[in-house]
Amino acid sequence: MSMIGKMTENILIPGPVSKVVISSLIEALSNDTGAGGHSVFIGQVRADNDGERRVQAILYSAYESMVKAEAEKIKKMIFEEYNDVKQIVILHSEGLVKAGEISLFVMVSSGHRHQAMQACARTVDLIKEMLPVWKKEIFDDNTHEWRENKQY
Amino acid sequence: MEINVLFFGVLAEVTKTGFKHYSGIKSFRDLMLRIQDEFPEIVHYNYRIALNNEIINEDPELKNSDEIAYMPPFAGG
Repeated sequence: MSMIGKMTENILIPGPVSKVVISSLIEALSNDTGAGGHSVFIGQVRADNDGERRVQAILYSAYESMVKAEAEKIKKMIFEEYNDVKQIVILHSEGLVKAGEISLFVMVSSGHRHQAMQACARTVDLIKEMLPVWKKEIFDDNTHEWRENKQY
Repeated sequence: MEINVLFFGVLAEVTKTGFKHYSGIKSFRDLMLRIQDEFPEIVHYNYRIALNNEIINEDPELKNSDEIAYMPPFAGG
């Protein structure tokens, strides 16, 4: 397994995805000279405002064993669809993530740039559709609301 | 049969538990009825059911120690 593979064996990480983790992954890319491009998606908690209240944080919960199984399926699908893809990294938060903090990090590496960019977008779509993760928006007036992704 | 049942997202809140252990289960139907009796409010929610990490579309055969999960629409990312 590659160094990045070892660093990202666990998909779910407690709390926000830290910038330290992200920069150490970027740092580790220098060992991976087979790739010519890396496409990155960073998802962060948006402070949505519905006119009366503002999102302060999101509380994520997950079905851990199934997240692991589904993430493997997603990676397999991507490797099958894009023959130039070398590596796929998925990190997703579990627990509390405040507005402005990072809750999802996806990085797809390929020999040439086009597949990295296309496969990264596709990976994010599959994450939204397939990963058993739930989010509860917590507002600044201490109310909360469960959200769901649209593709259901 | 002994079956473990997990509730996620809004259903963990509705059932006031994330986990229930059921004993003496005869079949999947039997389990569904036991759960509906105990938590009648879940019928108002949209959810899918997974058996041992796989989403099911029809009634499966259960084995002892199987894990069933009640999963509301996903909201990852």
